[in-house]
Amino acid sequence: MRVGLYEKLVRAGASRRDILKGAASMAAIAAASGAGLGAFTRPAEAASELRSQILQIPGVGKGQPTDADFQKVGELCLAATKANVKEGEFAGVELTFMGLNNQNLHNVLFRGFLKPWEAYTGAKISWIDLAQADYNARLQQSIATGTVDFDIIEMGAPFEGDVCGKGLTSEMPDWVKTQIDFDDLVSYLKPPVGTWDGKQYRVTVDGDAHNFNYRTDVFADADLAKAWKDGGATTEWGVPKTWQEVQAVTKFLKGKKFKDQDVFGYLDAPKAWGGFGFYFLGSRATAYAKHPDDKAWLFDADTMKPRINNPAWVRAIQDVIDALPSEPADQINADPNTTAFQQFLAGTGSMVTWWGDVGSNVKTNDSSVVGDVTGFSILPGSDDVYNSKTGAWDKLASGPNYAPNCAYLGWGVYVMARVDADEKKKKAAWSAAAHLGGKDLSIWTAMYPSGFQPYRNSHFDIPEWVAAGYDEAFITSYLKSEADSYNHPNAAIEPRIPGIFQYYSAAEDILANTFAGKMKAQEGADAIAAAWEKLTDQIGRENQIKLYKASLGV
Amino acid sequence: MADQTTTAWPANGPADLISPGRKRAGFALMAAATLGLLAVIGLQTLYKNEIITFGFETWRPIVYAYVLWGMALGVGQVLTRGEDGQRALFLLPALLFTIAMVIFPTLFGFYIALTDWNLSSFSGRKFNGLDNFWQMLADPYYRNALFNMVLYVLAVLVEYVIAFGLALLLNAQIRARKFFRVVFLMPLMLSPVAVSWMIGKSLMEYRFGPAAALARYLGWENPAFFSNPIIARISIMVLDAWTFIPFMMIMLLAGLQAMSRDVLEAARVDGATPWQTFWQVTFPLMLPVSVTAVILRIIFKLKLADIIITVTSGGPGGATDSVSSFIYREYRDRSNVGYGTMLAMAYLVIIVVFVTWLLKFANRFVRNVN
Repeated sequence: MRVGLYEKLVRAGASRRDILKGAASMAAIAAASGAGLGAFTRPAEAASELRSQILQIPGVGKGQPTDADFQKVGELCLAATKANVKEGEFAGVELTFMGLNNQNLHNVLFRGFLKPWEAYTGAKISWIDLAQADYNARLQQSIATGTVDFDIIEMGAPFEGDVCGKGLTSEMPDWVKTQIDFDDLVSYLKPPVGTWDGKQYRVTVDGDAHNFNYRTDVFADADLAKAWKDGGATTEWGVPKTWQEVQAVTKFLKGKKFKDQDVFGYLDAPKAWGGFGFYFLGSRATAYAKHPDDKAWLFDADTMKPRINNPAWVRAIQDVIDALPSEPADQINADPNTTAFQQFLAGTGSMVTWWGDVGSNVKTNDSSVVGDVTGFSILPGSDDVYNSKTGAWDKLASGPNYAPNCAYLGWGVYVMARVDADEKKKKAAWSAAAHLGGKDLSIWTAMYPSGFQPYRNSHFDIPEWVAAGYDEAFITSYLKSEADSYNHPNAAIEPRIPGIFQYYSAAEDILANTFAGKMKAQEGADAIAAAWEKLTDQIGRENQIKLYKASLGV
Repeated sequence: MADQTTTAWPANGPADLISPGRKRAGFALMAAATLGLLAVIGLQTLYKNEIITFGFETWRPIVYAYVLWGMALGVGQVLTRGEDGQRALFLLPALLFTIAMVIFPTLFGFYIALTDWNLSSFSGRKFNGLDNFWQMLADPYYRNALFNMVLYVLAVLVEYVIAFGLALLLNAQIRARKFFRVVFLMPLMLSPVAVSWMIGKSLMEYRFGPAAALARYLGWENPAFFSNPIIARISIMVLDAWTFIPFMMIMLLAGLQAMSRDVLEAARVDGATPWQTFWQVTFPLMLPVSVTAVILRIIFKLKLADIIITVTSGGPGGATDSVSSFIYREYRDRSNVGYGTMLAMAYLVIIVVFVTWLLKFANRFVRNVN
């Protein structure tokens, strides 16, 4: 490089170390410098340039990002860290980070993002990687046996009752709130999510809601439309808007061919998945069970009496039982991972509910064959909704009832209270968390396969996605489905109560028997209700009621 | 020579030569160490039960006290018993280690089985007597898993027949015998989890699996290996058998190779057909090896879990669930430690009783036949 340029950069605030870090680092500094301003003051224009730059790594449609890409992005997004932390400030600090390694995402990305952070700050991070299905057990054992052996954890909001409620997490310092631009979060992820007893604990890195993913080519096909009409349908062939229509379409598509292949309708996920599989029944049930006049939908708020065996949930269970014979022959052995990544992305099935990962993967995942033919919407509604207070099915004057399932409320990064005794370590842990939850880095995780979905208001800027290489119609559809789910007035919000995954896991076992035909829908639902009642008593009913009400905001 | 006889150690010599003072010191050391250990345990128990306000943050000091007690016990043995005590030192560390790592955890496990302990519970662990046991008796999922275990164990007989056949083949004078011996052993070298992914979730995958494609080619319209309860159960049995048949085969092969050729030749000279040679000579002579192989295989089978957890999660509808995979879900997914431990302890008792009976039965069977 030329001496003149080097000196200019040093004057702009970069250290010699920064400049020597390599091409990626140089590109970032050059970009900021080119605007005629210091690289680390992050004016709006520089930030915008930075975002444009990171979004070209490796470029949408250019294959899956690699560890080198994660490191590049991590390095380019270090400016916010540098504003709060001196170079080498955390030398000698060792942190342990526990998180997931699902589909080679989550921790795998965090490692890359934090490598430049480690190089700059001098801290060292060791990693505990867990499969999704192992996560709950590992966390619960650590809590119950007093063996919290990690300083930072990637954790979902449903566990906040188990962890924050027991005083195991460190309260977020104000400088972190500023660094991560806390106010940019979409409203449903703002407090009370991430807080406990009024204290803020979480750096949000993800937004979660189940949306509805469908094949645009299937629902635009003239031959299928004709067959649909010929079969006596009174409605037009198109994307189902209600679960009643989903059922009808799924049964209609059984045995039909599309592009010389078997075409299937909706893909259910009946196989247990460490408790996480229950969300998929939840997505079928919310439109039936979540009444606009009632915030509760899983339990009665005053008593914790389960609603799982009320007519709404039983109808959802029956829907699965009725649809399974029309789904692929081995569907009973499909877990959610199978439905999204082995079936839908690979071209099997025309409708699936999932977190936003389907949308972020269809264009960028190497195994996807449906990148150009996938559309998105909020979850289907229902022509009627069950009113738990009156015990009747209501037909709303506004039309079908929609109730997006805000399942899991996204992943967050939390710092454990065990670092509080050491100020340097505490600052290091929070700095690492803030780096991962940084505003610029987050747009990259939203656009590329990362395991994380959009969660900030700034993520819904469609021109930015288009500039990054996304097709405008596609991304508009995807982002709209996400934003409409997050902001829906009748969204079904996940209860942040201790042991929630025990409820889900107990239900999964019974549902597996029900879906296999060993029990009727009502019998299965009653058995789940009995198991949940027992669990509530075991964990402590009074506390659960209090926490459930708090999570519903009632 | 006479001198040597008179100066030799008497039978109980060393003990007799130990001075009373040394003996007293030895007993005092052991008593002090024992009291110290009991005092530390008592103190920590009172502290953890919030009866007193001082104690240790963790139970780790108890381990240190136990180690010190063990060392004092060893020194005390030597002081009080001389050479007998020194002999005891060869056994004592192993005994203390077994107590610490096997006997105490097992007893503690029985205690945990009598508690209501959900990891998410605000009130922690509570003693609840035999509640978990009664719950277990009424638990249809546990009964279902036990029933499946009976089927899985019965499948060992089929595995034995195949393993015996393979062992006979590999014992015969065939070409590339050594190569086949190594190849046939390879499945045993693979982790069952790897087998689950390579075969259960790849080769047998409904959409793209070669096994499914072959089945379609052969006329099976919907070759779903894990959707129908009976087929799923058989598929799991096949996967497990593929991994462990080589284990039985290698044991049987070793038995066949150790068998005297004279007996077989004598049978042939007497005009026995190949079948008669096998059924009336080889098979009875191989019974002790066969029984050992089958019993070891049954013990392995009783622990079957990894393949089921990876491939079916116990489904469809519990058709493939084993006791271990069910306990795994109960303990891991539901953090229900008390009940999960009760299931595991009950299973341990069932296994111990069953294997003891099996060994006695096998002994009697082998004796009667031979």
